[in-house]
Amino acid sequence: MRDSLASDTVVIGVGNTILSDDGVGVHAARKLQADPRVPAGVTILDGGTLGLELLPYAADASRLLLLDAVNTGEAPGTLTRMTASDVLATSAGQSVHQLGVADLIAALALVATRPQEIVVLGVQPANTDWGASLSPEVDAALPHVVNAALAQLRLWKESREANLGTDPPSLLPRQSSEHQPLSKPCEKESL
Amino acid sequence: MARIVVDPVTRIEGHLRIEAEVNGGLITDAWSSGTMFRGIELILRGRDPREAWIWTQRICGVCTMVHALASVNAVEDALGIEVPDNARLIRNIIAATQTIQDHVIHFYHLHALDWVDVVSALKADPAKTSQLAQSISDWPKSSATYFKGVQDHVSALVASKQLSLFGAGYWGHPAYHLPPEANLMAVAHYLEALHFQREFIRIHAVLGGKNPHLQTFLVGGMATSLDPNEPGATVNPERIDFLLEVAKSAQAIVSQLYIPDVLAVAAFYRDWFERGEGLGNFMSYGAYPQGSIKDPANFFLPRGIILNRDLSQVHPVNPENITEYVAHSWYEYLEGNPTAKHPYEGETNPKYTGPKPPYEHLEVDQKYSWLKAPRYQDKAMEVGPLARLLVAYASGQQEVKALVDSTLAKLKAPPTALFSTLGRIAARALETQLLANQLAGWIEELGNNLATGNLAVHNGQNWDPKSWPDTARGFGFFEAPRGSLGHWVEIENQAIKNYQAVVPSTWNAGPRDAHGQRGAYEAALLKTPVADPERPLELLRTIHSFDPCLACAVHVVDVRGRTHARVEA
Repeated sequence: MRDSLASDTVVIGVGNTILSDDGVGVHAARKLQADPRVPAGVTILDGGTLGLELLPYAADASRLLLLDAVNTGEAPGTLTRMTASDVLATSAGQSVHQLGVADLIAALALVATRPQEIVVLGVQPANTDWGASLSPEVDAALPHVVNAALAQLRLWKESREANLGTDPPSLLPRQSSEHQPLSKPCEKESL
Repeated sequence: MARIVVDPVTRIEGHLRIEAEVNGGLITDAWSSGTMFRGIELILRGRDPREAWIWTQRICGVCTMVHALASVNAVEDALGIEVPDNARLIRNIIAATQTIQDHVIHFYHLHALDWVDVVSALKADPAKTSQLAQSISDWPKSSATYFKGVQDHVSALVASKQLSLFGAGYWGHPAYHLPPEANLMAVAHYLEALHFQREFIRIHAVLGGKNPHLQTFLVGGMATSLDPNEPGATVNPERIDFLLEVAKSAQAIVSQLYIPDVLAVAAFYRDWFERGEGLGNFMSYGAYPQGSIKDPANFFLPRGIILNRDLSQVHPVNPENITEYVAHSWYEYLEGNPTAKHPYEGETNPKYTGPKPPYEHLEVDQKYSWLKAPRYQDKAMEVGPLARLLVAYASGQQEVKALVDSTLAKLKAPPTALFSTLGRIAARALETQLLANQLAGWIEELGNNLATGNLAVHNGQNWDPKSWPDTARGFGFFEAPRGSLGHWVEIENQAIKNYQAVVPSTWNAGPRDAHGQRGAYEAALLKTPVADPERPLELLRTIHSFDPCLACAVHVVDVRGRTHARVEA
């Protein structure tokens, strides 16, 4: 029973599916779970709003892809790609009030069983009020998230096969930027 | 007089703001403001009550399963369904696992750094640290080489400027009193606890499916297969052995690390047995049925209320006496501010009337929080591990009484010392010990049922909506890691008509009510000393001792104004 909870490459969608766009990462993970293009042997999980509790699912992976809502202040639906060090750089200087993705990444640095490559794909939310569905802008961005995740997974698979190093973000598919700007990207943050 | 504002309070789950008035180095008044806006009923209205738990487990970012459990309890109460013994046991095992996990994370990863100075640990002598560790515990990892390794690891983190989890501390604050060796020992155990919790939560993976969110709750029981002869069954003899092994690892880490560490830290901070005492009213709904859930008298942790720190009397809990005020909360009741409403009649009409951000101070005479103010018979209550332990102690629960008395003897402290910031920390540790012991017992009971052919795990009676009355209502109580959790459901024409949840942190972190009575955090902060208003470490100690959780809020990673790579055309 000491089997690992996950495989070498793990995708975790995080966010709260009852807070509208906050759940975009989980929605994307669910789409990936049903997508035949996902390379074999990849574990895809709905991480909900768990933080440190995801450690057992992530600590044995050598490649970890996190999908989440990320507040960049850009137009809703804008897709962002970050590495682990990008996320840590954003959280170390300012107070971490959510024990979320940043803390998971920080804890992984302390307990992971091997060196890990961690990528976060984030989507700018339009609306994080109570509600079980995505805003039109973020819903429209969902296929781009799925494609970007697939591109990342393919890259990892290829680099594994070729035993190569890292992957430049420019290889990711481009998305259209036809989104309306939003005056207050995340209203609750400011209350 | 100075007004200090801590916003957000760090190292908690969720978003909390505290404003406090400081006079002559002591807090003379305090206001707690939570930014959680609760509105689960907006999502649940019209849905099938049998699937409510799937939605409610998304309310909280951390203890997802407690909302699933409270929800199935509420719906079972409304529909008059009793669950089989195996379902009761599996629920107890899952819930105790969650609480043990949460308490260990709280002490080591959220709270210890209020007492432990990570930077001071770098100055420790590993050999002396080894002597210290061996003098308080027989935990095997205690050599000088081991502590040297931990020290090097932390040095490297500090040098890399990626302090990560250690980034938000007031290192060097005069209120830190531990010698460097105790600091190094605690930092080492911080890492041990991270490794432990990684392994421990596998109990949930076994009983709940290989998914961070448990998939196996079911109105009427559990969707868990029990079969003594089937290797593919969720519960079979091999799995029982595995669960027992994990439970024993929890007993070991609690008795060899958690409890000795709490006692060691407490010895250097004895003044904190006299600080942070708070309301003096404590409530527990009771948890972990040993028989029918309808009879709280059989619960492992009893139901009851203690008033005015009087441990000679335990008052009953009558669910009818629970109400919520919005006099200082950003909501409107149709009948106006002074009214209090029972959750069955609960309304959630948000109306923000606070200052426009960015602002300096909240309008604390008016409304100042997104949390409502729950009250029991118009009294504010503290909930959580200390409340549970005190109710059990005063009820004469034998295991609790023995453990509390022996611990107080070791600390050379009277029972009144429990009404304090350190009392909350000690109570949480002792509860973890009690539950870790009990966990193995429940797993063995499950194993016995399996061996004797008692395999029922779901009661299908009243599963079919055609068997339901036109209207029904029920409540589900549970003691979540952070305290009393209640879900109230009203069913009409086979669908949810209204749903309300009153969560532990609303009891503890809620604002004043219509009578101006403070909530639990607000009361506990009174008379807390603050040496340096710019770095209010002492305030955080008392607030963190409650294990604040307001993670029912958004989860967005905020990187505004920071370096990030954009992917776009």
